[in-house]
Amino acid sequence: MFKTIRFAFTMARRSIGRRKFRSALTILGVIIGIAAIVSLMTLGYGMRYQVETTLNEMLGAGIIISSIEGSIDIPEHVHEFVSQVPGVNASVPIVMTWVYLGDQPTMVVGIDPTEVAGLYHVTYEDGRGLESGGDDAILFASATANNLGIHVDDKVTISTGLGGTGFGGTFKVVGIIRSLGTEQMNIGCFITLEAAQEMLDKEDYVSAIMVRLDDPSQGEQVEAALKNMFPDAQVIRQEEIMSQIGQIMDIIDGVLIGLGSISLGVGALGIMNTIMMSVHERRREIGMLKAVGAERRHILFIFLSEAFLISFIGGVFGCIFGLFGVSIAQWFITFLKINITIPLIISPYILGIGLTAAISVGIVAGFFPSWTAANIRPVEALRYE
Amino acid sequence: MSNPVELRNTVKIYDLGGGVKINALRGIDLTIKKGESVSIMGPSGCGKTTLLNMIGGLDHPTDGQVIVDGIDITHMSEKKLAQIRREKIGFIFQFFNLVPMLSALENVQLPMIFAGKLSDVEIKDKAVELLRLVGLEQRMYHRPTQMSGGEQQRVAIARALANEPSIILADEPTGNVDRETGWKILRLIQNLNEILEQTYVIITHDPHIAKTSEKIFYMVDGQIYEAPPRSATTPSSHVLAEERRQLMLAELRWLKTSLVSLEKRKAKLNPESYAQVKMGYAKQLERLKEMIQEDHGKRRSI
Ligand SMILES: Nc1ncnc2c1ncn2[C@@H]1O[C@H](COP(=O)(O)OP(=O)(O)OP(=O)(O)O)[C@@H](O)[C@H]1O
Ligand SMILES: [Mg+2]
Repeated sequence: MFKTIRFAFTMARRSIGRRKFRSALTILGVIIGIAAIVSLMTLGYGMRYQVETTLNEMLGAGIIISSIEGSIDIPEHVHEFVSQVPGVNASVPIVMTWVYLGDQPTMVVGIDPTEVAGLYHVTYEDGRGLESGGDDAILFASATANNLGIHVDDKVTISTGLGGTGFGGTFKVVGIIRSLGTEQMNIGCFITLEAAQEMLDKEDYVSAIMVRLDDPSQGEQVEAALKNMFPDAQVIRQEEIMSQIGQIMDIIDGVLIGLGSISLGVGALGIMNTIMMSVHERRREIGMLKAVGAERRHILFIFLSEAFLISFIGGVFGCIFGLFGVSIAQWFITFLKINITIPLIISPYILGIGLTAAISVGIVAGFFPSWTAANIRPVEALRYE
Repeated sequence: MSNPVELRNTVKIYDLGGGVKINALRGIDLTIKKGESVSIMGPSGCGKTTLLNMIGGLDHPTDGQVIVDGIDITHMSEKKLAQIRREKIGFIFQFFNLVPMLSALENVQLPMIFAGKLSDVEIKDKAVELLRLVGLEQRMYHRPTQMSGGEQQRVAIARALANEPSIILADEPTGNVDRETGWKILRLIQNLNEILEQTYVIITHDPHIAKTSEKIFYMVDGQIYEAPPRSATTPSSHVLAEERRQLMLAELRWLKTSLVSLEKRKAKLNPESYAQVKMGYAKQLERLKEMIQEDHGKRRSI
């Protein structure tokens, strides 16, 4: 068996080498298909990763109780009731709103300084954190800070209206933290809860109450209890959001893989055609091989290994070019100045899928013509016209 | 002891579909003894290759029996036949003997690879020895395209010997090379036949080559004779006369249709050219009739 396969591979290698141009075109077909699948899947994977991390970092809680339409009308003391609900570990009231820094919109979060660490994965790049009572202090995310050229100890003015209109205030930058979320969706700065309420003239009201759970698996019960208590508020479970996003991502993945599969299908037709032509051209050779003692399996393996080699080479280069494709897509997105970042995450799982898809498609597509070859009758060898 | 080749009332009918059937072998009885070298001659299409296919287990007969080395291969499965082919039989064809992608050495190794009985080293050593035997040790690593027709044929002979078969079948082995080379190849085959005591069946069109073998069989229209049948040696007069007659009859029919169509077009033609064309046809018809009568007379007199 081993020798049969080794011999088949020798024949396949020579056959591919002999018909370089045709083989190269066929391999190219596979490369395009696999590259499409690998790059689209990698893009999808990057997107999913991006969205999930963003949400994880920005939500920072198991359950969020928020006022509808982003207004700030939940009485602050409500959080004391929330804390009483069984299964709730802590409840943190926050104020969250869009403000302008000059003409730049950014998200500001007002929060009790002692709760920051518990809710967000904060790492300081410069300066220090907020302190209770330090109501003129502001913390910037590094991305926003870099964008606006803001440093520790600077004084900045933020306002709810463009160009200093609406509510607003002036703050002193005390620290720069690593950015949370993505470029499109992030929290630009933190101030204390008191400062936010005062600035917006919403004393004793908050926009959301972030709820941390004792045990994440109790999410559903706690959610139900909270919904019961506050029928007018919006109660969102983070897991729910994540799973909804996950579903959307699954659909996107499906569409992308579908698109890739179409081009892989074209590659499969290419393999089928090439092997078919090879069989047709070599009918007499096949007959002759049978005349000197080859059995069906010898012939079958010769052509199957040709299909295998073509698809394997196509698969390997398809994976490589697929990753290139992602870089090109990234470059293109930046070139078009579209404000999206999709990280290139090289997943061995996706590369494995790419290679497996290539090989299985090759063998399936190559099987029919190979089987035809295996069944050519040896009398063909002695017939000449 | 069993004979290497035994055919009993072997019939092969090719069904071309639509009720068209070709009787390529009409009940062949043939025995070839061990160590014999046999030539088969006969006109094109008489069934020589078909016969060789039967002996070599390349095809199943429609009726009768094929026995090779005492084994009845008439109804053998594909897989078993492949085994018989590589263990008992060596093939040499007229054209396209070698795999173009493989070197001479690799081509000679083929039957041994398919048999799968020897180790790599043994296979290679044996192939080298075989190439030495046919005087091609210098060309081991050459591809068929880099060799002359005669050299390729010698590689094919070496390959035919690879699994030490008891029967070597050659279908016009010298048909594709010049006379000189043909003779060399033949001497090689004869010497090997003497030394290795294998049985050779060679199809050839060349009577000189046929004469060098111990026995000559003649085939005509699916039947085999040990002595040259009259029609095989002197086919000309009778066959040619028949061909001539057929041709004349066809011409007669053609003239008749031409005349009919001329009459149909009469109204459209001007009378002068009509008369001219009709004259031409009439003359041709006259001549043809004479020729047919003459031919008929000759036939009677024979
Ligand atoms: N596979 C086939 N299918 C149909 N008819 C065939 C087939 N092989 C051979 N024949 C027919 O059978 C008859 C005998 O053919 P065969 O090839 O045995 O002749 P041959 O004696 O070898 O002729 P040549 O000297 O030209 O090689 C011919 O009429 C041929 O057309
Ligand atoms: Mg023939």
